[in-house]
Amino acid sequence: MAKVKVYSTPTCPWCHRAKDYLKEKKVDFEDINVAEDQDAAQEMIEKSGQMGVPVLDVDGEIIIGFDQEKIDVALKKEKKK
Amino acid sequence: MYDTIIVGAGIAGLTAAIYASRKRMKFEIISSDFGGQFMVSGEVLNYPGIVNTTGAEFFSIMKEQMKFNNINVKIETVKKIERIKPNFKVITEKGSYETKTVILATGARARKLGVPGEDKFANKGLTYCSICDGPLSKGKDVAVVGGGNAALEAVDFLKDIVSKINILTVKDKFTGHEYLIEKVQNNPKVNVIFNAKTTEILGDRFVKGIKYEQDGKQKQLNVQGAIIEIGRVPNTEIVKNLVELDDHGHIQIDCQGHTKVPGIFAAGDCASGHEYQYVIAAGQGCMALIKAARYLAGKKEK
Repeated sequence: MAKVKVYSTPTCPWCHRAKDYLKEKKVDFEDINVAEDQDAAQEMIEKSGQMGVPVLDVDGEIIIGFDQEKIDVALKKEKKK
Repeated sequence: MYDTIIVGAGIAGLTAAIYASRKRMKFEIISSDFGGQFMVSGEVLNYPGIVNTTGAEFFSIMKEQMKFNNINVKIETVKKIERIKPNFKVITEKGSYETKTVILATGARARKLGVPGEDKFANKGLTYCSICDGPLSKGKDVAVVGGGNAALEAVDFLKDIVSKINILTVKDKFTGHEYLIEKVQNNPKVNVIFNAKTTEILGDRFVKGIKYEQDGKQKQLNVQGAIIEIGRVPNTEIVKNLVELDDHGHIQIDCQGHTKVPGIFAAGDCASGHEYQYVIAAGQGCMALIKAARYLAGKKEK
């Protein structure tokens, strides 16, 4: 399974969409609340070079925003390995 | 041949789809995303029958409601709508749909300031979605640009998160709902700056400040976040040669949702009369669909 992290805020509807999508696809992920965890917020900003949420980290591949196609591609890559 | 194609899946389009489904019409609802602008709303406190909810909660209920009515939103981007008299052809990047009527519910998007630094710092401290990215400004000083409901809501949302909020508006007063104005003006964290024209967003990697002009003088604020809420622009570019638009680009409709083209109806924030309210979008979506059904019934009789 791919190691997936979702950096999100509780109030951000697109974050909910992203997480719902992963759940639908039965992909396990770590949900990181960057509104609470300042260190994680910093980590997200370092990784993505920006401050918008959600940010997904799929085995090191950084996806900014809820981008269904990019998520699919990143998850497929992992399966092939 | 479809009875109707609904373009857009915000509240207006989804409401039209519920009615289309229950009327057993042959239809599709096509949109580049599901949810429209309620995806970026924080609290919702003025929808009849719902005391208090959020955009995210509203979204999950709508999703359930679509399932209940066997509605699948086609996630495609409509590129063009052609008239093939007496019908229409809706063309997306994936295919085309011939239909007897069209419901335009394409909504609106955030208006940009159009100042230097705006694009450079987008998502780098500058955001058009306070409830999404606002929590990342925890303990920081921010500037909210705008003086209407969306700007006031942003201030109200941010008040418990950030350290200080400056709100800048070009006008000499706020234009939003009174209850929001009271909340904002009574908050000691908020610094209100009227008659301020934002001229530049400053920063290096991320936002560090905002420049504005007030009474002919150049001024500057040091802030680590900029939230832009200066109104909306209707998403009507794809239909500008098809239907009549008003001076601001909204689709001209009568009080029953008819555009100037028989068979094309419009509803919600893309249409004239736009007050950017959920309830109005829902009502107009319902109206447009029912009028489209009547239009179809009238054609059959002939």
